Amino acid sequence: MLKDITLGQYFPGNSLIHRLDPRTKILCIILYITVIFCVKNFWGYGVLAAFTAICIISSKIPFGYVIKGVKPILIFVIFTALFNLFLTNGRVLWSWGFLKITYEGVRLAAFMVLRLFFLVLGTSLLTLTTSPIALTDGIEKLLSPFKKIGVPAHELAMMMTIALRFVPTLLEETEKIIKAQTARGADFESGNIINRAKAMIPILIPLFVSAFRRADDLAVAMECRCYRGGENRTRLKELKMTTADIWGWLFVTVLAVLVFTSNILL
Amino acid sequence: MIKLSDVNYTYMSGGPFEKAAVKDINLELKTGQFVGIIGHTGSGKSTLIQLMAGLLKPDSGKISIDGQTLYGKATNMRKLRFQIGFVMQYPEYQLFEETVFQDIAFGPKNMGLSEEEIKRRVHFAAKLVGLDDEILGKSPFELSGGQKRRAAIAGVVAMEPKLLILDEPTAGLDPGGRDEILCKIRDMHRRLGITVVLVSHSMEDIASLADKIVVMNHGEIAMKGTPDEIFKNAARLKEMGLAVPQIAEVCMKLREAGLPIPEGIYTVSAAKAELEKILKAKEKR
Ligand SMILES: Nc1ncnc2c1ncn2[C@@H]1O[C@H](COP(=O)(O)OP(=O)(O)O)[C@@H](O)[C@H]1O
Ligand SMILES: [Mg+2]
Repeated sequence: MLKDITLGQYFPGNSLIHRLDPRTKILCIILYITVIFCVKNFWGYGVLAAFTAICIISSKIPFGYVIKGVKPILIFVIFTALFNLFLTNGRVLWSWGFLKITYEGVRLAAFMVLRLFFLVLGTSLLTLTTSPIALTDGIEKLLSPFKKIGVPAHELAMMMTIALRFVPTLLEETEKIIKAQTARGADFESGNIINRAKAMIPILIPLFVSAFRRADDLAVAMECRCYRGGENRTRLKELKMTTADIWGWLFVTVLAVLVFTSNILL
Repeated sequence: MIKLSDVNYTYMSGGPFEKAAVKDINLELKTGQFVGIIGHTGSGKSTLIQLMAGLLKPDSGKISIDGQTLYGKATNMRKLRFQIGFVMQYPEYQLFEETVFQDIAFGPKNMGLSEEEIKRRVHFAAKLVGLDDEILGKSPFELSGGQKRRAAIAGVVAMEPKLLILDEPTAGLDPGGRDEILCKIRDMHRRLGITVVLVSHSMEDIASLADKIVVMNHGEIAMKGTPDEIFKNAARLKEMGLAVPQIAEVCMKLREAGLPIPEGIYTVSAAKAELEKILKAKEKR
């Protein structure tokens, strides 16, 4: 159920990847995603797979746990693959009635699946190895040069921190309310769509009520502690780049170079 | 009758936050019993009663209620749940309807009862928990904390379950509200003859209400038995971070000081009777 979603979850640890500066990780992921969408042949995907495997192994997170992140989007992946498989024009390999599979379709479908797969693996690895606080700190620091042109970096980061902070709380609360209404005989499974939507009311109303109450409490608590935005605020833990970050940068750059040369040469 | 055999439950199994919440539970409760469950925070009390109520599915082991196995192939879980009333901790979060009446009627309505029967049950349940008729027309969100709690309990009681399970129903209430709710629960148990399972932090409450006590420690049953049997073991309870009722402690100290108070006194009324006996005997001399 709800607790099976690993996408966006943090897996505490002290591996090399965990210790990298969040800014490094965010920028590397952006480069990694760019590379994913630039790969033009299977050699490139081979390099990508090797690179991703090295990252996962050095993060010391069980391989199966990272793969689980792909589960929620599996249906989406399958549909994308089917569309590309059947709806691409080109050299026909097989046809039956109006259905046909082309060589280009197979190639495109395989590429699409691989792209989505690596996309989820990479981003899962980022959130699994970076605590939400570190992640938002990194984003705030990365955005701060744009403060001059009016980007509210601190406020955006604070909003993200609060939203992330409340995801588990709200999930827990939802589960509790579902249990309470189930015990009162609520039926979430049978009936048509309208009945099922109606069955959500006993869950949504208490959830909204408690979310608003929590938001109110939090606002009061922040004000009591004189919160007034990011101006002149210092931090307990300043972000610092180390030699490990330099190696991280080198590693991703090598990946990018390899993939781009394989695009040109092969 | 509820029977649990070798029941295990683990939260988030396989993940980094894996937590075995209850381990190898064997327990048998008889119809009409008032069972108290105690244990320190995180000892698995809530998990245990959610398993009993069929809200969690055990990882292994078997739970049966009156011969029907929970999550068994031949069991209609929804029908079975109608016979089990479950009042979770802070039950006021389950309120959602426009009026208190409608909210109490939610359970009976799901059971598919007739309009008149629903009406009768709502009024009966409201009266049992001590809510006035005028409150029934109000929105549940404008009630006081204690009234909300009672409305939520009424919503469960209105289903007239054979087994009523309550998870710390007095948590966060003032002493007045606390005593009143416990008094109502005792009333229900006596008048309806139902089986009650009560989780509580207060030794006093458990001592005065329960006729069987289960002590949980680190997900296992550490002790079970009558209040006499449990509170005799003051040292063992202390080890687990629990205490005997204050009055039992007072009696123990008095006994050490030489007063002839018998063992097994753990309610204020019993202690009062004993002390009066001693005082009368002194006067005569
Ligand atoms: N929804 C949950 N997810 C993960 N762990 C939980 C959950 N609920 C309880 N636990 C853990 O299981 C253990 C037993 O909890 P619980 O049954 O609530 O104990 P109690 O009610 O005695 O305080 C605790 O260690 C708690 O942290
Ligand atoms: Mg509890």
